[in-house]
Amino acid sequence: MGRLPFEGTLNEGLLSFLLRMREACFAASGLTVGPVTLDVDPGERATRVCSSVREAHVVALMAAGIVKAGSGCVLIDQFDPRVQPAHCKRVAAFVPHDPLPLAAAEFDRYIVYRAALWNVDPPRALAHAKLLMERLDGVHEAFAVPLAGALVCNPKIVVLDRPQPVYAARIVAAAGPRAIFSTHLHSQEAAAFVNAAAAALTPV
Amino acid sequence: MRGRATLAILEMRLRSERRTLAFACATAAVAGFVAPRALAGPVFFCSVLGIIIALVQSPGRFPHLDLCEQGAPLFGRQLARARALVPCAIVVPATLAYVAASAAFAGLRDIPVTLAVTLGAAVASTLIALSATIRAGAAQLLYVAMAGAASAIAFTLAAVAHSVWGAIAFCAFASFLAVRQYGETLARYDPVET
Repeated sequence: MGRLPFEGTLNEGLLSFLLRMREACFAASGLTVGPVTLDVDPGERATRVCSSVREAHVVALMAAGIVKAGSGCVLIDQFDPRVQPAHCKRVAAFVPHDPLPLAAAEFDRYIVYRAALWNVDPPRALAHAKLLMERLDGVHEAFAVPLAGALVCNPKIVVLDRPQPVYAARIVAAAGPRAIFSTHLHSQEAAAFVNAAAAALTPV
Repeated sequence: MRGRATLAILEMRLRSERRTLAFACATAAVAGFVAPRALAGPVFFCSVLGIIIALVQSPGRFPHLDLCEQGAPLFGRQLARARALVPCAIVVPATLAYVAASAAFAGLRDIPVTLAVTLGAAVASTLIALSATIRAGAAQLLYVAMAGAASAIAFTLAAVAHSVWGAIAFCAFASFLAVRQYGETLARYDPVET
């Protein structure tokens, strides 16, 4: 039986990646980022080394579907952020670089807030977040709480904007089987995440 | 829209803006105490207060909340409605404080009409000015000017044309268009500082 010219490529492509960027560029006044080409498969830990803070920030935002590419193509689990932004944001969770200025007493409120935005049951989200915080033991709360907040929304891919390399092993462990995409400014920082991922996969 | 998400955004933003709310109410009460008793005082003061409160909502004030909300699976119009409630939830108590202080200490008469026109003008100005927060340059100034113009039109309809219902209808229509426009803009907005 004959196949249409695009059929094989389309079907294979739909099933094989969580994040696909092809020549993706972002341009605003005074800022041009890209072209970025990469693929992240389910369960994969991928990194990208960027030349500047802004580039790393924008690439991470594009990968999370928060910023739309001006040209090129970005697909997040088959969805195009320009057409189906809400679907993309259910799949990808963004964790910002900056620490969260949050008092310890506000942890529950923050998790409930995030649970409401993602339509997750609040008691379940709180229980999940407390488990995650145990897994993130040793990570400063200002960095651990946003990651826990992102993970309670049950994303398929976690996008980290310049995460702290010193916490790489903990972050990879907390993310579990989810795919991780992170942007970095130095190759050593990216290597810390790649090594942490490799260590997590190595049987003891 | 999911009511939970709207309430969560409103609660989190109002908690962060509690000082703004307190200062706005206190300023309005003081102004109501000393302001002229005619309609112009409350309408223009509360509209200017609303415009300022709307401009304070510009991205960057609470970057974590901005990113959380931009990263949440909400459509632009849903997010716009939730965010529009925040400055309105500040400007409405401030307007009530102005009118209450004015009625109690400065002998304001015709309270229902003053309250209705002032609330309408203040809310319409606030919602129009919200669109200025995600624009820059001339477009931002244009939205602030339109917010001021909406307040002036509401005052003219109520005080000069003596059509209170006309003023309220105009404010309701302007508010509806403003929230729609804010939603459209928010859907296309990229939260990257330039």
